[in-house]
Amino acid sequence: MKHIKYLIIMLTACSISSCSDEFLNPLPDSVIVEDTFFKTDADVLTGIIGIYDALQGVNSNTESNITRSNRGVQFEHLLTEHRSDNTRNQTLEGSKADFHRYLVNPDNVESEDYYQSMYSVIFRANNILDFIEVANEENQAKYAGEAKFLRAYAYFNLVRLFGDIPLVTTVINPGDDESLYTRVAVVQIYEQIVGDLQEAVNTLDNAYKSRASKAAAQGLLAKVYLTQPTRNYTGAAQLCQDIISSAAFDLENNFRDVFYSELNDEIIFAIQYQTGNALESQSFSAEFTSTIRQGSDDGQNIVNDNLIADFNIYGGNRTSESYYEFPTRSEVIKFLPDGSNFSVTPPTYGDNARNAGNDYIALRYADVLLMHAEAILAGGTETTNSAAIDSYMKVRVRAGFDALADRPSILTRDLLLVERRVELAFENQRFYDLLRFGVADAILSAHAADLGYLDYNTRKLLLPIPAREINLSPLVNGQRLLTQNPGY
Amino acid sequence: MKRSILKQNLLKFIFIGLAFGTFVSCSEYFEFELPEANSKVDTVLPSAAFSYIPDADDYRKIKFSDLSTESTKYLWDFGGGATSTDRDPIFTFVNGEGTYPVSLTVSDDNNVSDTVIIEVVVEDLFVPITPVIINGDMENSSNDWRIDFSNGWDRNGFESSSDGSWLKYDGTDNGSKTRGAKWNRNRSAAEWANPNTRHAYQSIVVSPNWEYTLEFEYAIKDDIATDPIGGRRIVAEILDGHFTDGADAYAQSAVGGALVTYLGTEVKGQTTFTKVEVKFTSNASGEVAIWLWAVTPVDCYIDNVKVYPEL
Repeated sequence: MKHIKYLIIMLTACSISSCSDEFLNPLPDSVIVEDTFFKTDADVLTGIIGIYDALQGVNSNTESNITRSNRGVQFEHLLTEHRSDNTRNQTLEGSKADFHRYLVNPDNVESEDYYQSMYSVIFRANNILDFIEVANEENQAKYAGEAKFLRAYAYFNLVRLFGDIPLVTTVINPGDDESLYTRVAVVQIYEQIVGDLQEAVNTLDNAYKSRASKAAAQGLLAKVYLTQPTRNYTGAAQLCQDIISSAAFDLENNFRDVFYSELNDEIIFAIQYQTGNALESQSFSAEFTSTIRQGSDDGQNIVNDNLIADFNIYGGNRTSESYYEFPTRSEVIKFLPDGSNFSVTPPTYGDNARNAGNDYIALRYADVLLMHAEAILAGGTETTNSAAIDSYMKVRVRAGFDALADRPSILTRDLLLVERRVELAFENQRFYDLLRFGVADAILSAHAADLGYLDYNTRKLLLPIPAREINLSPLVNGQRLLTQNPGY
Repeated sequence: MKRSILKQNLLKFIFIGLAFGTFVSCSEYFEFELPEANSKVDTVLPSAAFSYIPDADDYRKIKFSDLSTESTKYLWDFGGGATSTDRDPIFTFVNGEGTYPVSLTVSDDNNVSDTVIIEVVVEDLFVPITPVIINGDMENSSNDWRIDFSNGWDRNGFESSSDGSWLKYDGTDNGSKTRGAKWNRNRSAAEWANPNTRHAYQSIVVSPNWEYTLEFEYAIKDDIATDPIGGRRIVAEILDGHFTDGADAYAQSAVGGALVTYLGTEVKGQTTFTKVEVKFTSNASGEVAIWLWAVTPVDCYIDNVKVYPEL
């Protein structure tokens, strides 16, 4: 009993010194966790740059195991160009060959990878938005705008490819399955996209082309306005007009320079890659080859005959810079790896074809000019508006057509659509153009019938929600919370 | 000896076995393997949904797409007794524009069904062109209104004047005169045609075979002068086609080949304008031209020229 007073003192001491949160949840010293990482403005900027890393993806030649890394936009042509009438896979083997025949399954690995890549962009953006106040005050609005631009960019891709999708705009805690797996109507997804992009327009400047900028946000928002269920044509026209009036961008005189002089005057937003650097390079340049195969597959984005027919009429000097006719097939040449030489026969592709540095062009000035005409057309079938025809003709004249002799007195929807097709071929625009112009089903059902792709039907305009996501979602009344699209 | 007994017994056993086998029917033994036993009730039931898209060439022809889940059989009812069991049928609503309730009943292989009815809106979304008239307010020179004549006549469209309408192009009051297009004795055409004659010409593109209105304002001075037979007048026409030679345009007008011809003969004096709306039906090509001229001993004016479709 002599010791009882010591015990009382000890107990009292314990009860007086209250345990802080950190006492029970100590921050580890030996590893970095996000709560300890973001301490300075530079750290937040690193977090912002990390979002771009998710878009850039990991080259499949660097890490061939698809379960260990995402490909970012490096597979995007499969989900977009291959599902349009522009291009196809060279062979019929493997899941990459399913896209052009409208055979994509819910367990397709490339489709699933793209879904994961875009959500990775979204989660990284959501995460950094929690730490914005760590940054210097003058940078906070800009950083938030940049993260929201990228979040909108990812959602815009997802909503057009998959339809209703889970809408996640905050960091998700373990066990919060509801927001991760509840599909939200397309209309609400677009509301989120528009809000994010409007903030980006108001907070960003035009300092960068390989990062978000005011013009990139304006251009993307214009495209969103032209795509969302209730169109906003006047808003889109105004945004395009703002980009045109800013005089910050111009068409390259030579079409080839758009692709081989990186971040040129025409580029508004590009995702950069570095030649020869295994961690910063891309695989798609190599995969677009087939006859003299540089990639690890048999050849992707092989050009369809009916695109060549349109090039012959509307291509002008773009034709010889867009694809090359090998004896048995035509292949894309807009993204040839460094050191390629097509003046010799057979052509060569340099030493680094599989670690190519060609940028992925997300938005360029010619696209904005054509959107300007599209916005003025405002869903009509034709227009005689001279501002619309002026913008359309700027793109045509650069392609070698005559400003007067080739100027139409009346610009039709069909002319504009085919102009976008040949100007932006292999830049992953065609599928979205068809959807936006409301002709996807008409054109793709005819295309599928022509080429014998019997599995096409209207339901194939949406990709399946990846089966893996559905299987991870909780069971509610015996059914998975995350539902599948019709027809899959 | 033992061996032969075993043989006899073995045969016995075989016969008994065979006989026994014939008495027992299989169904009793395998009853427990019937599919219903231990199978789960299907709780994931069909849910009907569909979308529809009009054909690009015929708005009445609708392509339906099934968007149902958990279903294998389809029954479409388009009304009026028309049905289909295709998954994605195409149906033409021969009565044209209107709202038609279409029902889709889907069922699974247990014949559990679900029905959805959607009001299908069939509408003609054609929108006629509203042409933009360049310098329709006549504020600028006649450069946008001229055409070359192979017979040597003046290529300019009119004389630019400060005595135009008080109304702006959008119809609001300017508070003072705007600029306008002017003709006089020297610029007169038809029976008073001469090398200085002026015709205002502008080619426009409109939707083919569609009702349009040509609208403009004109004023004729009321000074006393020797008038042509039939009186002083301005003439506004819509020509059939586009022209590169004014002489050809003049020839069509002279033989009455224009799509519409309007004679303006209200003489109210300078800057007192009369607004005119002339209806015409466009031709099959949609390529037409505005053709303005005058026969007048005194100054006359045209302003605010517009062409717009019937909506």
